[in-house]
Amino acid sequence: MKKFTRLSMLLALSVALNVIEASLPLFNGYIPGLKLGLANIVTLFIIYKFSLKDAFYVGILRVFLVGILRTGLFSTTFFFSLSGVLLSIACMYLAKNLFKLSIIGVSIIGSIAHSIGQIITSILLLQMTSMIYYLPWLLLFSIPTGILVGIICKQLVKFYDEVLSFE
Amino acid sequence: MNKNDIKLIIIVLFITVMLFSLSLFQKKASIANVYHENDLILEIDLSINKTYEVDGDNGKVVIEVLNNQIRVVEENSPYHLCSKQGFIGNSGQSIICLPNKIIIELPNNELDTEVS
Repeated sequence: MKKFTRLSMLLALSVALNVIEASLPLFNGYIPGLKLGLANIVTLFIIYKFSLKDAFYVGILRVFLVGILRTGLFSTTFFFSLSGVLLSIACMYLAKNLFKLSIIGVSIIGSIAHSIGQIITSILLLQMTSMIYYLPWLLLFSIPTGILVGIICKQLVKFYDEVLSFE
Repeated sequence: MNKNDIKLIIIVLFITVMLFSLSLFQKKASIANVYHENDLILEIDLSINKTYEVDGDNGKVVIEVLNNQIRVVEENSPYHLCSKQGFIGNSGQSIICLPNKIIIELPNNELDTEVS
């Protein structure tokens, strides 16, 4: 029950982060699909502190909630997010268990997988093969955004271990 | 951050640089094809600086080639979208003048022009 409550709070947090991120005019418009990926902090945290199954539940529910709130259910943006989230969770889990990466490295892998998932969907769904030209840009930007998300998540894990687990 | 993270970053940067150089290498168009309603009416060599005139549905369309790039200088249309677009020079790009039914395409097959 405690776990269920915590996961619900994390889900709410990830939706909030997604909405906040959409309102930041930081990179809007220059390169399609480019964003900080703040909601990935929550996904990454769940992979580390809960389980793969929980990460998938929260990730998929987040895409549905953001779809209802902001982008519209079953719109193209919805399918972009869904494919990005699913591929990034799978890749982050594999990277965490197969390679000796720290949380920052795993976060970069997640960021890259999210970009690749979106590009694959845009090619399959919209036949936009020209999206592939944005891949080098997305790869380049996935390094700083991945590091940022990784550092925040590292602090979050530390905080969780020190404070919340003593309850 | 540990050693493997840095290795990962270096690998990703390497792939990015590879992809960038690949796209730069591919993106040099040497010829331009001008179509009017799907009929090829003019083939332009982009290495020669010259001005061309073709007949569109709303009158003459003036096309200019300068430094391996091509643009539409003058045309008669409501919004002048294709003359506002400016120069293009990479293969795969195109200028479409819909009111005049004129399409300028920069094809990818550079090998054909190198042979001739």
